[in-house]
Amino acid sequence: MSLLTQHDSDTDALRRGTRRFLLFAALATLALLAAIVVRQGMFRQTTNYSFVANSAQDIVKGQAVKIAGFRVGSVAAVSLKDNGQVVVTMEIDADHMRFVTHDARVELRKDGLVGSATLEIVPGPDKTRLAAAEARLAFSRADGLAALANQVRDEFIPILKDVKLITGALADPQKGLPGTLAQVRASSEALNALLANGNRQVDGIGRAATRVLGKAEEDLGRLGQTLETANKRLPGLIDRTQQVIDHVEKIAAEAETSVPPALRDGGAAAADVREIVSGAKQAWPIRNLVDAPAPVTLKVDSDPRGEAGRAR
Amino acid sequence: MRAKTLLLALLILAGCASTPKPVDPPRLKAALEAESDGAKRHGRGDHAAAARRFDEAARIFASIDDTPGAARNRRHLARAELAQGRAEAALLALELAERGGESGAALDTLLLKAQAQLALGRNDAAQQSLATAGGLCANACPQAASLHLLRAHAALAGKRAPEALTHAEAALKLLQDQDEAVETGNAWRLIAAARLASGDATTALPAAHAALNIDRRLALPEKIGRDWLLIGDIQKKVGAGETAANAYRRALDVAKAAGLADIARLATQALSK
Repeated sequence: MSLLTQHDSDTDALRRGTRRFLLFAALATLALLAAIVVRQGMFRQTTNYSFVANSAQDIVKGQAVKIAGFRVGSVAAVSLKDNGQVVVTMEIDADHMRFVTHDARVELRKDGLVGSATLEIVPGPDKTRLAAAEARLAFSRADGLAALANQVRDEFIPILKDVKLITGALADPQKGLPGTLAQVRASSEALNALLANGNRQVDGIGRAATRVLGKAEEDLGRLGQTLETANKRLPGLIDRTQQVIDHVEKIAAEAETSVPPALRDGGAAAADVREIVSGAKQAWPIRNLVDAPAPVTLKVDSDPRGEAGRAR
Repeated sequence: MRAKTLLLALLILAGCASTPKPVDPPRLKAALEAESDGAKRHGRGDHAAAARRFDEAARIFASIDDTPGAARNRRHLARAELAQGRAEAALLALELAERGGESGAALDTLLLKAQAQLALGRNDAAQQSLATAGGLCANACPQAASLHLLRAHAALAGKRAPEALTHAEAALKLLQDQDEAVETGNAWRLIAAARLASGDATTALPAAHAALNIDRRLALPEKIGRDWLLIGDIQKKVGAGETAANAYRRALDVAKAAGLADIARLATQALSK
């Protein structure tokens, strides 16, 4: 009898233990379910906002939505409208609604140049009014690599065009460097011609003066009547000589200001080239290959200007 | 490809192994290079640039107390100045060259001096220089032909046409079989001028054409222009007025194209007469 009594008490104790274990397991399961539900935001209060984009590229459902770098929600839906545009709906925690102003815009950004894309709500300057629930916000994409490349290209193309224009202008036979050199040459030739002309005029004046003086001498022999004539003519001739000299001086002064800079540049370039060549010649092993030139003997020419033949 | 690589490797090895050549001092090298550059420019007819380079070379040689080098470059400078018609500058350069006292080049200096004096119309001084030069040469020197030509030139300037003709013909004889085309052309021109001055215009014409042919071959505008002037003078003397005018026009064309003001002026004057 005592044995039967002892068995009943053990069974009760086992039942009680089992019941406690099952209760604890059920409570733990419920706590876990509650945690999951809370974590999933089932009891969270959210507000929806949306925006319209031309393309759904880099936008997916569940994608993080951030404000100032903090995650505040996610993309709830991405749908294609009849007109081909994409409507993106975002679910934002109600706690963070205070940051979403009515003029806020959504930017699609990338972490770094090639990182994952995130949506960032950028509040607008007017902080006095918040965006209403279900409001439609403005959207823009931040510049990616392609955009940067395009920007660089856009910046460079005008520069390259300018370089092309400059080099084209320099090479222009009319207006460029060759043209300028041709103009300098033409100016020098014109100057030579003018100087020659001046010489001829002076020569002519000299001859005229000689004639006048000869005439004056004759006239002096005839009681100096033509001394007066000479007196009248000489000032005119002197004036003319002065005019010619003034003219030549003016040309020389103009040439002095316009020609030397170009000549200096050319001279400097020639000196540079000579220096480079000279430097190269002194460098090993070129210096072993280039000998210093020997003293020269010029061809004999007893009449370099061909003047001897002019029997006049 | 392999052969080229092998050759390159051999060259590099040879370069490394060879004894370094003695290098000229930089200033001496610079002087020699300036002289060589001047000679090239002189050969091309760029006498102004040649004169600058010879002057530079002379100054560098003088700075390193190389008297023969300095004197040689001053003679080169005098030639370049004479070619530009700057006889006074040439005389100045020759004066400096004479101070070098290089006896071996005294004859060259004297001949150049005579050229400059003739160009300046100092005939007596030129005669004196030529007499001294004649004493140094004694008809056996390499410059004998040039000496004869200068004597002919001086005789022509002194209105001694027969003497001029004798010297010019003697020079032509010496120049035969020699590579001295410029002097041969000068000799023909002097023969033509001497014959014209002697009144023998008919035989002067072929001589003038011979000079013209040589100067054309050498492409020397100054001389070509003067040859045409001389031909014009000869044609005028023989009474071929229109042919003479053509010759003067040719001289004018050449002078205008080459920018030779003196010849252009002479041709214009001849055409206006």
